[in-house]
Formats: sequence, C-alpha cells, structure tokens
Amino acid sequence: MVMENWGIKNKKGQLKIQQMAFMLIAVTFLFALVGIFFLAINLYNLQKTATGLEEDNALLLVSKLANSPEFSCGNSFGGSRSNCIDFEKLIVLQGMISKYQNFWGVAKIQIRKIYPEDETLCTSGNYPNCGIIKLLDKNVNSTAFTSNFVSLCRKDLSDNAIYDKCELAVLMVAGEDKG
Amino acid sequence: MKNILEKFCSKNKKGQDQKIRNFSLLPNKFGQEEIIGFVVIVVIVSVIILVLLSFILTNTDENVVESYEVESFIQSMLQYTTSCENQLEFLSYQKLIAYCENEGVCLDGENSCEILDSTTREIIQVGWNINEQSPIKGYEFKISTEEKELFFAEEGNKTTNYKGSFQDFARSGEKYIVSLTIYE
Repeated sequence: MVMENWGIKNKKGQLKIQQMAFMLIAVTFLFALVGIFFLAINLYNLQKTATGLEEDNALLLVSKLANSPEFSCGNSFGGSRSNCIDFEKLIVLQGMISKYQNFWGVAKIQIRKIYPEDETLCTSGNYPNCGIIKLLDKNVNSTAFTSNFVSLCRKDLSDNAIYDKCELAVLMVAGEDKG
Repeated sequence: MKNILEKFCSKNKKGQDQKIRNFSLLPNKFGQEEIIGFVVIVVIVSVIILVLLSFILTNTDENVVESYEVESFIQSMLQYTTSCENQLEFLSYQKLIAYCENEGVCLDGENSCEILDSTTREIIQVGWNINEQSPIKGYEFKISTEEKELFFAEEGNKTTNYKGSFQDFARSGEKYIVSLTIYE
C-alpha cells in the first residue's frame, strides 16, 4: 500500500514536471515567435529606411540637378536662369554617359518634354525633334521617380534668324531600390 | 476473521478509488486554469502586436505635391517661349505678361492677352493634370502688379490641403507678381 501511494505521488510529480516543461516550451516558443515577428518588422523597416534614403537623395538631387554645370543653361540664353536645362548639353552628355555612371549616385535620370508633349525618344540623330531623353538608365531595381519642373532650352531657327526656344519639361530621378 | 479482512480490503479499495478519482480531477482542473491563463496571455500579446502593427503601417505621411515643385513650375513657366512674336523675337511667357499689359498685338495679328490666357491654362493643365480622379483637385493662378490684378485663372475644387508659391520680376519699371496655389 505504501508502495502504491508512493507510485501515485511519483506519477503526480512527473505530471507536474511534464506540465511545467510544456508550459516552459510554450512560453519560450511564444516569445521566440514574438521576437521573430519584431525582427522581421525591424528588418523590413531597415530596408525601407535604406530605400527612403535613396528616395531622399533623389529628391535632393532633382531639386538641384538642373542648376548643376552639366545641365544648366548658364548664360547661353541671355542672363542666368534657374531651373533651365540646355538641351544640347543633354545630347552631348547622353553620348558620354558611361563616364558618369556613378557620378550622381542614382539609378535613373530622365527628362520629358511635357509642353508641347512629344513621346519620341531622343538620340543624337533626331535632335531636336524628340521629347524623352533617357540620360541614365542603370539595369537595377529602382524607386519611384521623383520629378521637378524645368525649362528645356535650345537655339532654334525661324526665318533665317536664330532665337531662344524654351519648352516645359520634367526632370525625373529615381534612386536604387534596396528592398 | 476472513470477513473482517475482506471488509477491510474492500474499504481500502474504495478509499483508493476515491483518492485516484480526486487525483485525476484536481490536476485536470489546474491544467484547465493554466490553459486559460496561457490563452489570456496569448490574446493580450496578440492585441499588443496588432496595435503596434497598425500604428507602424498607418504612419505613412506623404505629400503629393512638394512646395519646391510649385516654385520650379512658375520659374520654368516664366521662361517658356510662347507663340507670340514681336518685331524682335518670340516672346517668353515673362515678356508676354508685360506685352499683354501694354495691349500689344503679336506679329500674326493675335491678341497677346488671349495667347497669355490660353497658354497659361494649357500649361497648368498639362503640368498638374487636374481632374476628379487625380490627387490634385484644383488650382488658383494670379498675375498682378503692385496696383492691380492683371490675370486670374482657377479650376477645380479648393481644398484645405494646398501648396503655393510666387515669383516676382521687374520689367519696364513695373514689378510683377506671379502666384500659383495647387489644391490636393
């Protein structure tokens, strides 16, 4: 009888230990799950931050790129102008873009003429009768384009007289997507 | 003696059965309580996670229009070469404003103010794509001198969320102010 009681007590203790073990495993599993969940969120946020920084860089770049020496009109169109891009400079720059691949630290740079609109892709052959200049186009995943309005100016001929012709365009810059 | 022993054994057996029954009931009840406690913890943790998740996901505040865009739009617009030509050149939008104020007529006989009106509306429409489906709901455009308003154009709905900018320039001793407000 004593042996039987001892056996029952022993069984009870074993069950309690089992219960405790299961509980500990379950709690550990729960905290591990919560940890993994927050880690995943943090990792996602880190990727988002990296992409956000790329977007910020594109935003900063787009607001100052038009006034950089590689793009700006300078004094070619009567006095200094802000947000003015020299169309001829762009065509020349397009021909030697391989030297500028990592110069601006972005993935894509495009200029689109919007008024008057023209959907023709620009090359040195069809200049100036075109409207889209794909200046930089790295073969990588990119963020959404950040754009800014610019004036696209060139010299044009009318009745044997040369005059300044400026059209409305958007300068579009996209950073590299790190996600 | 045998009877007494049998009685004792059966009593003892009954007691043992009762003990086993109690033993099998009590831990079961404790287990149920612990499971309920565990479920409560899981529910609380899940609610906290959901609240945090909804806070993280809804915390995206992006502007459709940046203020520098409106500023650069006006700057670019003022440089635009219009179809109005005088004896010297094709007039830029900036020069056309002054030409319109002086009631100038273009070489092809068109009224400079009519060209100013049509060019302005077309450029703004193309630049900002204002319609019901677009994130940009409307605009208000104004050209004025210090004394009077020269030109006014508006379209779409005026909302409480807007971005605006202005540019001023001087021509023939007169100061002109061009302002644009974009409603999101």
